[in-house]
Amino acid sequence: MEPDRASEPVVVLRGVRKTYGEGAVAVHALRGVELEILPEEFVVLLGPSGSGKTTLLNLIGGIEPASEGEIVVGGSDVTELDEEGRTRFRRETVGFVFQFFNLIPTLTALENVELVAELGGGAERAPEMLERVGLGDRMDHFPAQLSGGEQQRVAVARALAGGPRVLLGDEPTGALDLETGRRVLGLLHELSHELGQTVLLVTHNAAIARMADRVLRMRDGRIVGDERNEAPLAAERLEW
Amino acid sequence: MRRQRASFLAIALTIFLGVALFGASYDAYRNLDSSYKRSFVEYRFANLTVTGGKLRRLAREARAAPGVAAVQERTQADLPLHVGRDEFLGRVVGLPAGRQPAVDQVEVESGAYLRPSQPDGVLVEKHMADAFDLELGDTVTAVGAGGPLKLRIVGVASSPEYFWPARSRQDILPAPKDFGVLFASEGLARRLAGARGPNQAAIYYAGGDEDAALTAKLSRAATGLGAGEVLTRADQPSNSALQQDVKSFRELAVLFPLLFLTAAALATGVLMRRLVTAQRPTIGMLRACGRSRGEVVAHYLTFGVVAGLAGGVLGAAAGIGLAGAATDAYTNELSIPITLTSISPLTALAGVLFGLFTGALAAALPAFAAARVPPAEAMRRFAPRGAGRLSLAERLLPPLRRLPVRWRMTIRGVGRNPRRSLSTILGVVLALTLILVSWGMIDTTQILVDRQYNEIDRQDAELYFRGALDRAEMRRLRRTPGVAEAEAGVDLPVALRADGRSYQTALKGFDRGTTMHGFRAEGGGTTELPAAGLLAGEALGSKLGVGVGDEIEVSAPGTGASARARLDGFLEEPLGTYVYAPLGPIRRLAGPRLGLGNVAYVRYAPGVDREAMRRRLSALPGVVAFGDSNALLDTVNEYLGLFYAFVGIMLLFGAAMAFALLYNSIQANLAERAVEVATLRAAGIRFRSLSRMITAENVIVTAVGIVPGLIVGVEVSRLFLASFGSDAFSFDLQIRASTLVLSAVAILVVSLLSELPGLRAVKRLDIAEVVRERAA
Repeated sequence: MEPDRASEPVVVLRGVRKTYGEGAVAVHALRGVELEILPEEFVVLLGPSGSGKTTLLNLIGGIEPASEGEIVVGGSDVTELDEEGRTRFRRETVGFVFQFFNLIPTLTALENVELVAELGGGAERAPEMLERVGLGDRMDHFPAQLSGGEQQRVAVARALAGGPRVLLGDEPTGALDLETGRRVLGLLHELSHELGQTVLLVTHNAAIARMADRVLRMRDGRIVGDERNEAPLAAERLEW
Repeated sequence: MRRQRASFLAIALTIFLGVALFGASYDAYRNLDSSYKRSFVEYRFANLTVTGGKLRRLAREARAAPGVAAVQERTQADLPLHVGRDEFLGRVVGLPAGRQPAVDQVEVESGAYLRPSQPDGVLVEKHMADAFDLELGDTVTAVGAGGPLKLRIVGVASSPEYFWPARSRQDILPAPKDFGVLFASEGLARRLAGARGPNQAAIYYAGGDEDAALTAKLSRAATGLGAGEVLTRADQPSNSALQQDVKSFRELAVLFPLLFLTAAALATGVLMRRLVTAQRPTIGMLRACGRSRGEVVAHYLTFGVVAGLAGGVLGAAAGIGLAGAATDAYTNELSIPITLTSISPLTALAGVLFGLFTGALAAALPAFAAARVPPAEAMRRFAPRGAGRLSLAERLLPPLRRLPVRWRMTIRGVGRNPRRSLSTILGVVLALTLILVSWGMIDTTQILVDRQYNEIDRQDAELYFRGALDRAEMRRLRRTPGVAEAEAGVDLPVALRADGRSYQTALKGFDRGTTMHGFRAEGGGTTELPAAGLLAGEALGSKLGVGVGDEIEVSAPGTGASARARLDGFLEEPLGTYVYAPLGPIRRLAGPRLGLGNVAYVRYAPGVDREAMRRRLSALPGVVAFGDSNALLDTVNEYLGLFYAFVGIMLLFGAAMAFALLYNSIQANLAERAVEVATLRAAGIRFRSLSRMITAENVIVTAVGIVPGLIVGVEVSRLFLASFGSDAFSFDLQIRASTLVLSAVAILVVSLLSELPGLRAVKRLDIAEVVRERAA
């Protein structure tokens, strides 16, 4: 499914800055980022370590507040939200997939997804989410009984359980081998194109950018490149 | 250590409390023991006191016996004493005028020692002087054999026989105005007693040390010479009561520090295991780079050693200060003239070593475990803890699996780190044990005091008469305004003998249908006086080796009266070990010289003025002494004040220990789950929901520890209190149901409070930083 370029952007950043510390020890992680992401886009944010890509992801996801600027996601101005507001925002508008899965080890795959789905009053969607990520027959397994790829797929199902406007992934394949990584990326691509899910992935792995609809490049806290990928590669053909 | 500041402080604090308690208790015990022993030598406190029999011959034989340093013959008599409007049964003890006695010397605290030129001069014992505000020159009337005699106070003195002003082993806690001692010249004492010669011999051994063989030899000799009572130093009422206190300090020096140090070891173990787990990859890296196992062990041992040393050194220092303060407070409260306090380097060193050992041992196991892990495995990410199974509760109760996911997560969180959960449970058990031992002492004391003075002793007052009580006196007594009921009774010092053993106590006689005394049978329930036999305090069984149905010889020293009676039952009475008999047989045995009895028990009408009743009844003809049960109860409660203060401190210590242990456990729990918590916050779970889950998990673990904690606490409390029991005090544990409930609630409250810092940290959790660190 092609991104709907004619519709309103689902993510808008204007003059966004993030500074840690003060004075001589201040670290300017983001130095005035301007960005719009359209619905259903599959975007990869590429950059070396320290470029500010994870910080940008965290700001979009409402995990930490910006120092300056405006961030609007799914119609919500994140910069105007207090802590309670950001919590609600994370519950209703975004979904996170982390590098190391971060599943609750004492809960089964199904329970991990239900835990988040319950927040949106949709616990009954959990089995469907797991079916969708190909783990229908592994629902009652605990994380320790799942492979890395399976755990990451559970994490994806969990991230989708709340019906988010945007799915945010921070190095989602960083802890996976090539084959498993391809499968997870393939799943994310499928969700984006078949379900119309807006996906923003952060990675330092340039190879992954080849499957994206759009590639943003970051360096020193700024977006220095914004390219459309006219012929995205299928995930199973990626090599790194 | 800087990063684990709070946990380090919690562990060091627990070790500090344990070591401080040890040092304070043990050195207070040592100080008091030394103070008493010095007093015994300083004042030549008798090793053996014999009353009655052929004393002159006994004194000759004793002086000739190897090991005897001195023998002092003297006259002692219990007489009515009048101080102002107060009349009570006091004691006069004869001393040589002009010089201290060879045995049982006195410390003259003000005024001067007895002089031959002052035939009516007396020294008043310090407690009596304090109770009646007596000063030099005041007068006291003693009602002796020749009638009332006014005596002038020439000095205030203290004596090792009355450091604790007990009348007898059965009357350990007389009210301040119900008993007092005067030291008079021997001649005056004999005159008051109506005696021709001394009636007591006090024997002091060389060096003041005990000598069991010598005591046995002299006791046999005394008994053979017709002695009515042979009292060793250990059985001497004042000394016996004080030695119980000394013993209690010694017991405290073991029990409470053990609890604290065990708790500290648990907390250290929890913390160290968490640190080692969190730092496994670092350990692996260091080992891969060539660091030896020994270096890894030393690194983690350092934490435990430093915490142990910090707590141990500070605790030892605090123990020194507290021991001195406790000793001073105690000896001042009891007016013990000699206070010896010393700093024992050995105690301090032992305390430091206890602390060091606790910290090191607790850290050693995780440290060695860390060093044993192969480097490659340590650097590899491992399966999360507690993963891969349902909780025990869910396996036992399948319906629990239908609970909301959050509840299932909470239940499974309890068993996720079994060792840590077990440490927390053990900590709860330890804290409850400490609380219940302390609170159990309070409950037991309050219940037993109430039982003694409301259930058992039902009279409001006891009146002692000169000579035998007759019907006219009883009629007059019953007609006195304010008197609701009055009964005649008997209260006689007796010697009991059976199977070659003897025991000195008091025989109390009541009418069979008496309403003045409640007879509480062994095991609870009530009983009544038999027609002809005896009832006795349960300690008599072991003292004389007798059981129900056995015959006991009962003799009254000084009267020549003796009889055999059957023991018909044992009684549960907190204070004293008396024998009880119906008045009829006693009267028949004693004949007309006893009349209706020698004491009257009185119950007041409701709402009377007790002080007015005291004056009114004391003024009755024939009344020579008066005992007020209420005043006695007030005295008991006053003595208990210091005790309650001490127990209150123990309760606070228990709460502090529970807090430190639970705090450590929760911190370890939250630290281990920081990423999980951050992930759940990132997923949009509210802090309130998370805190409820964490609190529920915490409460469940605490609650699991409460039941075994209550069981162990009650049992330890029972054993601890039983160790203080004797024939003078019976300390069977009595614990209220409300105490158990409140203790459990207190632990839960402490548990909730201890998680507050952790929850605050969760609320302030920098999600981005945690996730970033994890990714890095």
